[in-house]
Amino acid sequence: MVNGYMPLSLKEALELRAAHELVPYGGGTDLMIEGEKDVCYLFVNKIAEMKKIVDDGQYLRIGASCTFTEVLDSPLVPQLMKEAVSRIAAPAIRNAGTMAGNIGNGSAKADSVLIEYVAGAKLRLVSVRGERVVPIEAFYKGRKELDLAKDELIVEILLPRTGLENYFYQKVGARNALAISRLSFAGVLHLEDGVIRDIAVAFGAVANTVLRFRDIEHMLIGKTIAEAKKERAAFIAAYDAAINPTRGRVSAEYRKAVCLNLLRAFLDDKGI
Amino acid sequence: MSDAIRFTLNGEETLYNGNPADRLLDVLRETYKLTGVKCGCKEGECGACSVLMDGELINSCMVALGRCEGSNIVTIEGFSKTEHFQVIDKAYAAVSAVQCGYCIPGMVLATEALLVKTPHPTEEEIRTGLSGNLCRCTGYNAIVKAVQIAAKEGDGLW
Repeated sequence: MVNGYMPLSLKEALELRAAHELVPYGGGTDLMIEGEKDVCYLFVNKIAEMKKIVDDGQYLRIGASCTFTEVLDSPLVPQLMKEAVSRIAAPAIRNAGTMAGNIGNGSAKADSVLIEYVAGAKLRLVSVRGERVVPIEAFYKGRKELDLAKDELIVEILLPRTGLENYFYQKVGARNALAISRLSFAGVLHLEDGVIRDIAVAFGAVANTVLRFRDIEHMLIGKTIAEAKKERAAFIAAYDAAINPTRGRVSAEYRKAVCLNLLRAFLDDKGI
Repeated sequence: MSDAIRFTLNGEETLYNGNPADRLLDVLRETYKLTGVKCGCKEGECGACSVLMDGELINSCMVALGRCEGSNIVTIEGFSKTEHFQVIDKAYAAVSAVQCGYCIPGMVLATEALLVKTPHPTEEEIRTGLSGNLCRCTGYNAIVKAVQIAAKEGDGLW
């Protein structure tokens, strides 16, 4: 293949990535919209190390080149991730699009990335120089700005094995299928003996990156539901102050209003 | 690497010597003259360019040729020679599920991909299975009906 590489092992892929100016190609569903001709692709679809979904006891490790369909078919993947992935586009796109492609495209509208934020997922990045594990929130530095060196590949997504069971998820789009998120919301709550051990809230398609504010979440951690109810107004007000939507296809005012409505719906759903 | 891209196209071993960044849709239509593959939007929104790639429904507008290395591609031209096609074709005709016809090659391949995975789909599964294939004529109900008939008439085939 001239001007294109399809390595079958990670080692070969990393050597090629280090030696040439290459664009990693997962499913192609974002890249081919531009359909640039003067580009050299590194096709990462057939690398066995990037196609597995395994439970290592601590993390669910989702191979970067797993397609959305493969994620939906896996018995290991949590329901919240499946719900978000099932809302991506339509079957043909889900058969092609990959988990790392959704991340690497750098959009705050990426439906699977919202779940990675709320889960506190990490990314395993590998190059010929070595490897590092980066929290998803640190990986996104801004719109289309990623903490990914020119010789690195996203190889795995590390999803905490528990904590996503009690969730609230909404995607607001203009139609049922083939919809790009106008706004997306995910909230998870972890209760133990009536006490909030953990709460996470993330907003997609609002700003340059998915938004999650850990300091605001701390307002409710360690509280009972009854105590959390008393904090509800202050909790919502803190998000109102923190969320600063960018103007896009829909207005900033609309985005802010829907963010807060979905936050209220999440709290209502969980009895807070 | 300096080889041509090697893949199977409608059952025939094929070598492509062009740019790996070329769009599968364009190559199917222009190089191989498989014009049953339609171009609607070139951004994965309409499904008119659907083909089967290793048995899975794929929008050919969203695939670079290099990705096809080693894969098995079936377009409507190849699929029309199969027994599955005969059943689907008859079912679409029986309820007049075709009007202008532009979406139909993609719709038929989406039907095949659905029935392979789910031989006896519910109405909801049919609508989800065809959700990436837009039709501006029929209003979809006749197509859903056709898929139900194909599933029934082709019982045991899928």
